[in-house]
Amino acid sequence: MPRGETSASVEAAIDLTVQMAGVEFRNPVITASGTYGFGSEYAPYCPVEALGGITLKGTTPEPRLGNCVPRLAETPAGMLNAIGLENPGLEEFVKTVLPQIKELPTQVIANISGFSVADYALMARTLRRDSGLAALEVNISCPNVKHGGMHFGTDSQSAETVIRAVKQETDLPVIAKLSPNVTDIREMARAVARGGADAISLINTLLGMSIDVEKKKPVLANTFGGLSGPAVRPVAVRMVWEVAEAVDLPIIGMGGISSWQDAVEFLLAGASAVSIGTGNFLNPSLPLDVSTGIETYCRRHGFSSVRELTGLAHRV
Amino acid sequence: MLSMATVLANETMGAPEEGLRRLVLRGIGAARPGQFLHIQVSAHLEPLLRRPLSIARIDKERAEVTLFYRVQGRGTQVLAGVRPGEALSVLGPLGQGFSLPAQLSQRLQLSHQSHSPNLGHQGHTRQQGEVRQDSVQAGGELWLVAGGIGVFPLFALAQEAVGQGITVRLFWGGTHKRFLESAGFSYWEALGIPLHLTTLDGSFGRQGMVTDELNTQLSLRASSSLPPVLEVATCGPRGMMQAVVERCLPLDIPVEVSLEERMGCGVGACLGCSVTVRSDNKSLRNKKVCQDGPVFRGEEVVWNA
Ligand SMILES: Cc1cc2nc3c(=O)[nH]c(=O)nc-3n(C[C@H](O)[C@H](O)[C@H](O)COP(=O)(O)OP(=O)(O)OC[C@H]3O[C@@H](n4cnc5c(N)ncnc54)[C@H](O)[C@@H]3O)c2cc1C
Ligand SMILES: Cc1cc2nc3c(=O)[nH]c(=O)nc-3n(C[C@H](O)[C@H](O)[C@H](O)COP(=O)(O)O)c2cc1C
Ligand code: FES
Repeated sequence: MPRGETSASVEAAIDLTVQMAGVEFRNPVITASGTYGFGSEYAPYCPVEALGGITLKGTTPEPRLGNCVPRLAETPAGMLNAIGLENPGLEEFVKTVLPQIKELPTQVIANISGFSVADYALMARTLRRDSGLAALEVNISCPNVKHGGMHFGTDSQSAETVIRAVKQETDLPVIAKLSPNVTDIREMARAVARGGADAISLINTLLGMSIDVEKKKPVLANTFGGLSGPAVRPVAVRMVWEVAEAVDLPIIGMGGISSWQDAVEFLLAGASAVSIGTGNFLNPSLPLDVSTGIETYCRRHGFSSVRELTGLAHRV
Repeated sequence: MLSMATVLANETMGAPEEGLRRLVLRGIGAARPGQFLHIQVSAHLEPLLRRPLSIARIDKERAEVTLFYRVQGRGTQVLAGVRPGEALSVLGPLGQGFSLPAQLSQRLQLSHQSHSPNLGHQGHTRQQGEVRQDSVQAGGELWLVAGGIGVFPLFALAQEAVGQGITVRLFWGGTHKRFLESAGFSYWEALGIPLHLTTLDGSFGRQGMVTDELNTQLSLRASSSLPPVLEVATCGPRGMMQAVVERCLPLDIPVEVSLEERMGCGVGACLGCSVTVRSDNKSLRNKKVCQDGPVFRGEEVVWNA
């Protein structure tokens, strides 16, 4: 008999907590890097304490002004971005961002990007447990920077090397963020697992472009940009499914989540938690709506813990 | 603030060929001139992203705001189909508005107070010196320079400034007469302020660019005893705003510019709407149009970044 949809008490508390890489998140809803600033911008619309966690904008060793505008282009059910990793640089990040995040009542994940293994190692050496962070997400997949992290994200040997270097330098749990712009995502997942990753997040944006037919030139100043939003979700769900079968690491699933149903889809495909990116732009209180929706879903289907959902679609 | 605002009106303004519309919303929080709303034009997320539109009129008593917009592409087309009585998800008011009215009225008040015998009794002796300096500028004017639909956010500013007793003058350029008439000419006329209009085809006002007329009037001021220009606020094509800034700054007239950029979040979280500015120490850095602007000090904007 399926677990009692009718017998479950309506009042039963649902356990929304998830543990990944030794970190406890109060619920499985995290915000995605680059879409949530440094945590405070959305506070008026979505209380920080309602979030499982926040992932900060990607940081590089040196400050970066990023790409020229236009940096954004809307596409069917999605958008392209080419921010170009604008960020204040590691030194400023440590000086001004870290003190602020210590005050945030949620788990905060830093996201690091680099142009060489040494870059990643340098940041990992600086960002350790005493920084107040919960984990380090290693972006080996940003498609917007020429000669950027992309090649680490598409070559399994380099991906393994970067993750290993980061692991050696930091005592924080390490999350490897994978690029979808590869032939076989399972191979990348296995590579970062060998490198010692404690968890995997995916997907980063899909490389795309859009041309203004009246002006007869690319819309983005950078020509190419990363596609995100609902359009990428089926690709992301498929990749989470594949990675869940390939490695035995917790997965943070993301790509196009704009409702709680979308989030549940990722959990069923094998994710332990989800991240919301572009969806925040559409509905600034989406993370809150998603965690409430997941809770109601669990209750309706007779699950006492959200952890029971992870990978369920592989088994039934 | 994130709210479901009720649409009170959403109708064509003027000649339909101009594609201009007027949208009146109720249920928006307190707004300042120069701020904008980030509007979800369709609950079905098609198109996906919100659209930024400036607040053109603020009716505090009735808690209503009016936006003027031009049907441009898919998003504004869908918005045009929203009917009165329906609700729209609105994020805002967002951004930093114009700082002019408050500052100007302060100056005017201060200069007024400096003639008041009470001031000494209140013992503000140090401020008195400042007051005298400011009073030199009493009687000055706020000039607004608009290109095309850049006039929309300036209307809220004009309303507020006029309400505070500041003398306002509008310079507004458009392509042709029908555009100016459709884009709110009658609202400006009703404000009862001096209007300097230009059209490219000469069908209304002076033929030429709005900056031509601005130059003429600035030169006139320089050689006459007319009241000085205290501040300029401008909105329109980038090149026009740059020209206004480059003309006014050497004359020591502060300029505020209202910029546009494609937006994702609207709240400073995605870095999509970047603008390069020169810090006081001359180094270049980025600001965000949505959060740090859309109104910026003219001298800080790097126009050809
Ligand atoms: C702060 C601010 C205030 C604005 N105020 C007004 C106003 O009061 N009245 C008005 O008519 N227009 C205003 N605009 C411009 C307005 O946002 C665009 O015309 C509108 O977004 C076009 O959307 P669309 O789908 O019809 O056009 P499309 O060209 O199909 O839009 C495609 C994408 O580009 C973006 N986009 C296109 N043009 C602009 C633009 N000029 N600025 C920013 N993003 C753009 C859209 O938002 C969308 O994401 C303002 C823009 C900004 C940034
Ligand atoms: C504007 C923008 C900026 C982003 N910046 C980063 C970044 O700095 N580092 C990173 O790892 N991912 C970045 N991403 C990718 C997102 O974190 C996420 O992986 C992707 O957008 C897919 O999720 P979504 O469809 O929910 O947005 C960015 C995405 C967007 C839209
Ligand atoms: S629109 Fe996102 S930072 Fe301005």
